[in-house]
Amino acid sequence: MYEQVRSIVSDLLRIPADQISAASSPENIEAWDSVQHLNLVLALEEKFSLQLSPEEIDEMKTVGDIAHLVEGKLQVPPS
Amino acid sequence: MSTVIQPYRQEHEPAVAEFNRRLRQGTADPNLVFPGRAIPRWLPYTGKSPVWNEFFVAVEEPFVRGAYGLKQEQILFRDKGMHQVACYHHSLSEGIIDKTYARVGASLVRDALARQPLLYVLGMGGFENPLPKMLKALGFSLTLVPFYFRIVHPRKFLFEMNALRSSRWRVLLMNLAAASGTGWLAIKTVQAAARLRSRPQDFVVEEVNEFSSWADDLWSAAKGTVSMAAVRDANTLQILYPKNDRFLTCVRVSRKSGPVGWAVVGERRKDVQKFGQMRVGSIVDCWASPEDMLPVVRGATQTLVKSGVDLIVSNQSHSAWGRALEDSGFLKGPSTFIFAASKKLTELLQPLEQNKTSLHVTRADGDGLPRNF
Repeated sequence: MYEQVRSIVSDLLRIPADQISAASSPENIEAWDSVQHLNLVLALEEKFSLQLSPEEIDEMKTVGDIAHLVEGKLQVPPS
Repeated sequence: MSTVIQPYRQEHEPAVAEFNRRLRQGTADPNLVFPGRAIPRWLPYTGKSPVWNEFFVAVEEPFVRGAYGLKQEQILFRDKGMHQVACYHHSLSEGIIDKTYARVGASLVRDALARQPLLYVLGMGGFENPLPKMLKALGFSLTLVPFYFRIVHPRKFLFEMNALRSSRWRVLLMNLAAASGTGWLAIKTVQAAARLRSRPQDFVVEEVNEFSSWADDLWSAAKGTVSMAAVRDANTLQILYPKNDRFLTCVRVSRKSGPVGWAVVGERRKDVQKFGQMRVGSIVDCWASPEDMLPVVRGATQTLVKSGVDLIVSNQSHSAWGRALEDSGFLKGPSTFIFAASKKLTELLQPLEQNKTSLHVTRADGDGLPRNF
């Protein structure tokens, strides 16, 4: 999952994947602003056919957090 | 620590004050401030009011990291009846000053959409800003609300219109036009020619303290001429424009047959960056059937000219109001005033291409009050 999320972040922010780590976040990637954060949410929702709530969007602090969140959502069957 | 978006309560007020302090420290824009009181001063919820404001805050204990407002109102759609719709406004995120919180903006707008899928946003200062970009990504349809202006005092306009005095050459040319009188002559000639094209006859303009049953009659008579309008019946207008409002003047325009329209006008707060020391009046809101729009614009303009303003501005989305303004000596200028409708709201506006020139959107819609009109 981490690799897939890293690839999405790389494509979206136009940064080579090898420059992105689990600790990458808006704090240490210049191009990651509020607009790109929303684009990332929409890209994840489309790629994994899921819906992220405002609270879940708030948990997306680093690439590692995002991979963990998406993995968790995919394991839980929708209610 | 997770952030929870929740209704703004009195206990959050100190954290909101602290949030505002951080925003003020981090940006040069004094408008980036969230209301300090949990109960809105403008349009508080009373349980009976058809239009009210509610606020929400994103709390990461003990801090507030973002906030927004929803103005809930009744909106009429052509062929689709009346619906409760909300205007998303005052959205502020700590992400403006600290990228750690870049995620907050997306959470706020998603939260608002979850509370009210029939959502619109107004203003935003141009397509290049973050919020319209986010709304576009979320599938909102975005259109510009045309901007019109009428120069009352050309000499002062040429010397003070800072938004146009953007280069040394422009400053030189505008100073020259002002000092020689050629600017005055050119502007007055263009405006007079436009006014002479159409001269409405026999109308009376009066300032009124209150909207009453006559406003209900006008609402009923003209509501079929718009594809979308926030309700402007007497009850709603009394709430939007109360008798004791210090900044706005309500103008009623009548012909022999009786009242045919109304306008609400006011003087905007000073904006030195754009307008220098000019006094700027605004036709904030208006209502009439297309055949009576011209006298309403003339009446509103007369009232503002009498009050001593140097420049009059108005944003109007309905093409018939645009024509009435242009036939009254107004010029069309570049607009940064965007109307953005959520996907669900856009469904009610279909066919959008056909309907968008008859939307009734003015500076009075959205959070345009008080004095930011």
